[in-house]
Amino acid sequence: MTAARAVAPKTTAPKSIVPKTAVTKRQRKRREMLVAYSFIAPNFIGFAVFTLGPILFAFALAFMHWDGSNPIEFAGLENFWKLFEDRAFKSAFWNTIVYTIFVVPLTLVCSLGLAILLNQKIFGRNFFRTIAFFPYVASLVAVAVVWNMLFNPDFGPVNMALYNMGIDPSDLPGWAADRDWAMVTIIMFSIWKSMGYFMVIYLAGLQGISAELYEAADIDGANSWQKFWRITLPQLGPTTFFVSVMLTIQSFKVFDQIFLITQGGPGTSTLVLVYHIYNEAFISWDLGYSSMVALVLFVLVLTITIVQFRLTEERD
Amino acid sequence: MTVTIKRAPKARFNWGKIATYVIVILVSLTMLAPFVWMLSASLKLNRDVFAFPIEWIPSEPRWRNYVDIWSKIPLGLFVYNTAKLTVIVTVLQLLTSSFAAYAFAKLRFPYRNALFLAYIATIAMPWQVYMVPQFLMMREFGLNNTHLALICLQAFTAFGVFLMRQFYMSIPDELCEAARIDGMSEYGIWRRIMLPLSMPALSTLTIFTFVNTWNDFLGPLIYLTRTELKTIQIGIRMFISQYSAEYGLIMAASVVALIPVLIVFLALQRFFVEGIASTGLKG
Amino acid sequence: MAAISLRKLRKTFGELTVVHDIDLEIADKEFIILVGPSGCGKSTTLRMIAGLEDVSSGDLIIGDLIVNDVAAKDRDIAMVFQNYALYPHMTVYKNMAFGLELRRAPRDEVDRKVREAAEILDITYLLNRKPKALSGGQRQRVALGRAMVRSPEVFLLDEPLSNLDAKLRATMRAEITKLHRSLNATFIYVTHDQVEAMTMADRIVVMQDGHIQQVAKPQDLYDNPVNLFVASFIGAPQMNFYPVTIRETDAGFAVDFGGTLLPLPPRLTPENLAPYEGQEVTLGLRPEAFFERMTSEHDPDMFAQLDGVVDYAEPMGPEIHLNFAVQGHSTTARLSPRFAARPGDTVTLHVDMSMAHLFDPKSERSLMAGPAA
Ligand SMILES: Nc1ncnc2c1ncn2[C@@H]1O[C@H](COP(=O)(O)OP(=O)(O)OP(=O)(O)O)[C@@H](O)[C@H]1O
Ligand SMILES: [Mg+2]
Repeated sequence: MTAARAVAPKTTAPKSIVPKTAVTKRQRKRREMLVAYSFIAPNFIGFAVFTLGPILFAFALAFMHWDGSNPIEFAGLENFWKLFEDRAFKSAFWNTIVYTIFVVPLTLVCSLGLAILLNQKIFGRNFFRTIAFFPYVASLVAVAVVWNMLFNPDFGPVNMALYNMGIDPSDLPGWAADRDWAMVTIIMFSIWKSMGYFMVIYLAGLQGISAELYEAADIDGANSWQKFWRITLPQLGPTTFFVSVMLTIQSFKVFDQIFLITQGGPGTSTLVLVYHIYNEAFISWDLGYSSMVALVLFVLVLTITIVQFRLTEERD
Repeated sequence: MTVTIKRAPKARFNWGKIATYVIVILVSLTMLAPFVWMLSASLKLNRDVFAFPIEWIPSEPRWRNYVDIWSKIPLGLFVYNTAKLTVIVTVLQLLTSSFAAYAFAKLRFPYRNALFLAYIATIAMPWQVYMVPQFLMMREFGLNNTHLALICLQAFTAFGVFLMRQFYMSIPDELCEAARIDGMSEYGIWRRIMLPLSMPALSTLTIFTFVNTWNDFLGPLIYLTRTELKTIQIGIRMFISQYSAEYGLIMAASVVALIPVLIVFLALQRFFVEGIASTGLKG
Repeated sequence: MAAISLRKLRKTFGELTVVHDIDLEIADKEFIILVGPSGCGKSTTLRMIAGLEDVSSGDLIIGDLIVNDVAAKDRDIAMVFQNYALYPHMTVYKNMAFGLELRRAPRDEVDRKVREAAEILDITYLLNRKPKALSGGQRQRVALGRAMVRSPEVFLLDEPLSNLDAKLRATMRAEITKLHRSLNATFIYVTHDQVEAMTMADRIVVMQDGHIQQVAKPQDLYDNPVNLFVASFIGAPQMNFYPVTIRETDAGFAVDFGGTLLPLPPRLTPENLAPYEGQEVTLGLRPEAFFERMTSEHDPDMFAQLDGVVDYAEPMGPEIHLNFAVQGHSTTARLSPRFAARPGDTVTLHVDMSMAHLFDPKSERSLMAGPAA
């Protein structure tokens, strides 16, 4: 039933009219809410069940002992204390830091440089952009295989070329098979693979810079170098911030290329945090401890993201 | 005396441009070299693959490699499985994300910000953090060794909702309001105003989802142990473990795995920079 | 029938109240214009009438129905947005036909109405273009056309001309007025352009900070502003204000402006003035109350002379705006362009006090309007 509300007509309003309401406020609010939730529901239900739920479960498991089949036992902080005795965790932690310290700035500089080059009016610009982006979309499994072959220490073309350039066979790097070179190999691979993606993000950022700024600088007689430092770089500030946050998060999450190229080896030279999580879960089936390492990783990523946010806020 | 008017000399020869071309071409070669090498190796006999100096264009291309790969392992089935998963995941992702994103961007309702925060908070979360509990839960549901598990895993991502919402935020509210006054329902607005206007964002999301699902190997590695369910990425790994010295064949299979991604990417890439620019993915 | 009443209509965003319990009765087929400074709640009021914002409290009545909670599409209104809000992916034809098609109007009727509207607005040749390929003025016409084809009872327009250049604005003003006459609909129009308000409206509603200050016919509003805000908001250049003291003289009441006694018009009755005897009030004089010399048409009893030091003069073509200081109070006068004065000169101007306004400096209300209700 619609609730008809009679309104005392004011003197200025036509007297004969008794306005009625067609719909009540509650009915309308309810309908609007149902419509909105119907939009969200298909995605949100899937998201809640398959992502949000497991994340909460993972946090809980960090304080449990479980091997996946026997009953779960409460562990308190035992998993946490175990971190300090676990030498593999220690190497994984440091390897992750080393990886991040090299990958983030190098990728940033390379992708920015490439974006600036490919933002100029040069012949075949789109073609070059596509090429630079292609490693990012290419199957990791496939390119890892090629990479392993190219960098094969004994008969790979890279070492062959180095040998032919006159480098002594005993000085040739062992790449993925060599303790000292394995991390270098992984870092090179990561930059090669993801540089194109961040280049596209920088291109989008560059296109957002008003051409008038450059025209004004031209009139003031600035050269390209000055234009880069005075206009391009400051204007790309937010983009650089975004790229560095994304790169940092990605670097802390690195796993796939290591799994495919070095399996964490030789020894523990490329063992990283996520690889350790994987080993503890699917090799040792120590799910509680694995979740604790995951929790540490999460806290690290979160802290670094927040710190980066703070730093840019201060700067602005 | 007459005044001669001189023409100011044109800007001198542009060395900067030349340097740009040199660097761009060198970088492109570095980016491309592994793929070219892969392609050339896929047409060689095993013993010729590592011959030095590299014979970039094989004198006697061995097309047989591309025939043999289909019989050595069930590659056809793997391609079919991957295609099926990728298409379903991409369609579900596009539909549900843009649907949810419309509400987050253009409707007002209780707990909107809290719900959206739940999405945002998980974007920074490495999958490996919750991969194990997720796996155990799927096993509990009886979903391991099914394609459904991988679909559920990949179709409802925070990333998709975030990307689409950012794009919808850039569409003026007045457009929706005009449509409401014109008599359209919210579903109608999504279908007839928002969707047609969001091609750049949808293309971007399609590329990301397609590429991620097609190339994913850890998910299938964990969830699919039965051969008839496996995907092409796992297939290549199978090739490597079973025929580790058949370099030509491994390369041929890898080329096959790359082609669909290449096609989708080339078809949609003209929207890509625009899509990234308009979805706030640049910060 | 589309009379509209707003009764104690209020809008709050969280803690912030942006429309304060406003009352307004709009007659059927009336052309009402809402004016006021930026952020005073004009758009919000209009959007409540459209059904795009909910009403926080009070009633909104269209015809004989409280429509607070009726969806926008069921209110029989059309709206023209400041940025036109044309659907970018549809042709002009489709843009205009869309609302009718959604209401399941027969195809030939849709076609007839679209072409009719296009004819009136002179945009027939644009029907197959997309909005991107139109100029601002053409988009404006399409937006109007889209509203017209539905022949709604109520037209809502939110600053529809603000993105156009001055010349086009003048043309479109005339066209919208014509449209209002031919469409037989109620128009509610938001603007902060005074010229639009004065030329087009049947009645003008002046708003400030979410309150209605005055509702009146354009000329009434100009001649009898009820308070200082309306007096200074309407009219360009702005009204000049001076602190004066009310004195009773043999010839009745007058005001004392720094020693000069100025007469007051009979509009201001002794009842209005007596309570303020000896007190300070604010005198308001519009720029056109100043003259270089008196002519035979002027009533000498109502005239007084004021001396001022010229600051600068702005030639406007048909007139000049002379800025000068009278007893330290900066003043603008509209004078004939032949009036020659250089900065620093002392000038003596004649003031027609029959155009004087007086305001209570505390309540800011006009003395004619009586004490606040
Ligand atoms: N969604 C909202 N949330 C919070 N405050 C709002 C919202 N919309 C409007 N406001 C506030 O309400 C007040 C009135 O806004 P409104 O848009 O009605 O002003 P206006 O009179 O149309 O101004 P203008 O002439 O600039 O268009 C402003 O102070 C504005 O900041
Ligand atoms: Mg407004």
